[in-house]
Amino acid sequence: MNRVDFYLLLCLRLGTCLCFAGWAWVHYYWEAPYGVLLWSDSTFEFAQSMGIDWDAYVGTGADDGWVQTWIGRLFWPYLVCAVLSLTAGRKSWLQMVGLAGGCGLLVFVSYAKYVAAQRQPPMFIEHGGQMLMPIVLWCALVFGVRHGATIATACVAFVMTFAGHGCYAVGLWPTPATFFAMTSVVLGVEYETAKSLLLVAGILDFVVCVGILIPLFRRPSAAYACVWGFLTALARPVAGMSPSLIYWGADQYIHETVLRAPHFMLPLYLLIVWSPLGKQQSQSSTD
Amino acid sequence: MLDTRIKIWLVCCFVLSALMSNAYSQGNRQNNRRGRADLKIPEVAKKDLICFALYTVHDRQLKLTAQLYPLAADDDRRVRLEIEKNGQWTQVATTQVIEQGWTAPFRVQDWDDSRSYRYRVVHGSEATYEGTIRKNPVDKEEIVIAGFTGNSIHPVHGGDISRQDIIDNINKIDADILFFSGDQVYDHNRHYAAWLKFGRDFGSIIKDRPTLCLPDDHDVGQPNLWGESGKISTLSGAADGGYARPGVYVQEVERAQTSHLPDPADPHKIGQGIGVWFTNLNWGNVDIAILEDRKFKTGPAGRVPKQGPRPDHIRNPDYDPASVDVDGAVLLGERQLRFIDAWAQDWRQAKMKIAVSQTIFCGGAHIHGSANGRLHADMDSNGWPQSGRNRALAALRKGFAFHYAGDQHLATIFHHGVDEHRDAIWSFCVPSIANLYLRWWEPLEGGERREAGAPEYTGDHLDGFGNKVTNYAAANPEKMPAGNILNTRSAGFGVVRLNTKTRSITMECWPRNVDITDPATEQYLGWPKTISQLDNYNPSSWGKLGTLSFDVSDPVVQLVETDSGDILYTIRVQGRSFTPHAPKSGAFHVKAGKDKPDAVVVRNGKVGDPAVSVKLR
Repeated sequence: MNRVDFYLLLCLRLGTCLCFAGWAWVHYYWEAPYGVLLWSDSTFEFAQSMGIDWDAYVGTGADDGWVQTWIGRLFWPYLVCAVLSLTAGRKSWLQMVGLAGGCGLLVFVSYAKYVAAQRQPPMFIEHGGQMLMPIVLWCALVFGVRHGATIATACVAFVMTFAGHGCYAVGLWPTPATFFAMTSVVLGVEYETAKSLLLVAGILDFVVCVGILIPLFRRPSAAYACVWGFLTALARPVAGMSPSLIYWGADQYIHETVLRAPHFMLPLYLLIVWSPLGKQQSQSSTD
Repeated sequence: MLDTRIKIWLVCCFVLSALMSNAYSQGNRQNNRRGRADLKIPEVAKKDLICFALYTVHDRQLKLTAQLYPLAADDDRRVRLEIEKNGQWTQVATTQVIEQGWTAPFRVQDWDDSRSYRYRVVHGSEATYEGTIRKNPVDKEEIVIAGFTGNSIHPVHGGDISRQDIIDNINKIDADILFFSGDQVYDHNRHYAAWLKFGRDFGSIIKDRPTLCLPDDHDVGQPNLWGESGKISTLSGAADGGYARPGVYVQEVERAQTSHLPDPADPHKIGQGIGVWFTNLNWGNVDIAILEDRKFKTGPAGRVPKQGPRPDHIRNPDYDPASVDVDGAVLLGERQLRFIDAWAQDWRQAKMKIAVSQTIFCGGAHIHGSANGRLHADMDSNGWPQSGRNRALAALRKGFAFHYAGDQHLATIFHHGVDEHRDAIWSFCVPSIANLYLRWWEPLEGGERREAGAPEYTGDHLDGFGNKVTNYAAANPEKMPAGNILNTRSAGFGVVRLNTKTRSITMECWPRNVDITDPATEQYLGWPKTISQLDNYNPSSWGKLGTLSFDVSDPVVQLVETDSGDILYTIRVQGRSFTPHAPKSGAFHVKAGKDKPDAVVVRNGKVGDPAVSVKLR
């Protein structure tokens, strides 16, 4: 493996690892967003049919109950997947299966967020980068970091993330309040300015989705997306953390950046693939 | 073989087209989807441009806000208010429509509240909306306040079921005041559209009587609200404190829901240009403090040690309640506490006092209807911060104020305690109009000093924050699965009857879709419950000073601790005699007067003193 390919794979491994690690923290320390799926009459009826009674389901007060216990236990598979992201290789089929299974975990948590968001499609779509990151890594390990399937999957993940985000930012679906709030707090601007900035950012989200499909524009598009993805991921701790908070609020916000690692690592990966150095290395590898 | 770039093109085009088709089909299906509410703003004829109107009259000032449908660009922005005098419509005010939310707020000074008037709001040459400004019912013995909360319109749990039963019942009992405690609107993005629907649903009863609307968390577009004086919230769930929606959105919500309330007691704005609306309404000799228990409250995230999977939830039953009662955590805030302090002493034109706010001053539920299940304590309730809760109760009990609130989705009656059980005010939390989110009051151990035959969950308890509470009733929903019908989810509304002659307070809690005037109709278990005005501050450890006999009826009496000069309470007593209650130790001055306690009538009184005759003429 040449040096550039090593860095390309490192991008994908790190992006996947951080995404799983961020979600592992959510499951371990905070409340993962499954309530909307697990707390319904039908789910309780299913639990009853499995012999789980009310107190066992919700907890007695002295313990966490079935729902919380099992949500908390999902921390372990996320942690394992975070490790697998760094260790998995093409020949270790068990690890590769685990990695693919990790994608299922991310699809499940993204679906829960989608349902919680009253089934707004962009909520599911914008998680495409996170959901597909393990698959991109899986493709890279199986087919190679420059294989068409790997790049195509990365492009789909890229487009889903930025198109989903763009749908919210331009207001095709109601813009989440946190978008305005973070923009206002981080940049110190009033609502009208924040609204204008988000509109521009949303349009650029769509522009880069198209841009990466056009050879002439794909590098600047990937470069912009890399920077923008990093800044939007970083916006949570920047807006929320404060020395006056316990641990400066790090336990509340840092993982929000960490689990969004695919939002900037995927564009970085594509940027390197399409960079002159990347092409040169690719050519020399082929030669 | 297709070129890789073409493949990428095709895949990306597929994703984008799937996105767009999903959006299109979603738009078409939205109205039919189970669980989704139809919030389309209807096209209305010019004559129907005025959707509804809310009003209050206080201190001879009428404030009325007309809510309009969107006006066309060439429509007149001027709206008129007319009243009927001697069979003729007479214009009493005009105002300009505020386009951000399409509200038309009127103000009429020197309003004659000694008689009723028909009114109409007029726009252009066609649109009119009629109602009645009632006379101030000072001659009525019983003031009836109907209370509501949680107006979910989602079909999945019965939110789409007609409110006609409520309209019919309110008309039958002819409520004097309507009180909507919060969550009139559950849509976090389209307050205007949802507010119009609220007006279409309730406008027919709102137009004819004073109405109090208190915006709560969902009204301003977030799941919970710790307003923290207008800070911007960036944390999902908003537990970091502040408002998640932009300030202009919050301002529009408050303009729609509260601009008809009496002028705020302290009108200084908070962050993001958001106004305040805490004030009082005096109607029928009942003085109502309208409080904002969310606006100034501190957000818990990062301020209190983590005790559960959410920054606002405590799941660890072994935690130390004192650890979360952190320095600097605010509940009502200094401005509101100052207002309550002054209000509790002011008994002009008042025989009884009540306070209304969004939620109650304790953790009033144990099981929460989501994956959280059993929670030890919920910092969204007014049980936290405990010091702030105790200060609020200590201020309110000085005026013997009964507390009327909502928010919990679970109707309850609590008698609150500060230093000992039952030494502070009573509260009635009303059930939701349609219950989005289930909660149960289900302590693990039975309460102490329960009434004979009362359920185990009643009696003296400590809530999850260690606050002293005594439960008298809880309209717990059916056990899971609770079903999707309104009443299996304990939906309903409350009625409070304040008898200004006997000074009694009766709480009623009614389910939905019943005739509450039918003697066979049963209320939720535990209701009705009647208490005395004096029960709102009557510690069992206290004794009685000597009975005071007055030469005037219903004077105002105030008890002041001699050493500290602290006012223990002020009250307009019933009739010509009153036996002040006071701590068994210490000495107290008793002050009295016809309308305010400006004369010291007993110096250094002590428990067990002989009776005193007082001349106030």
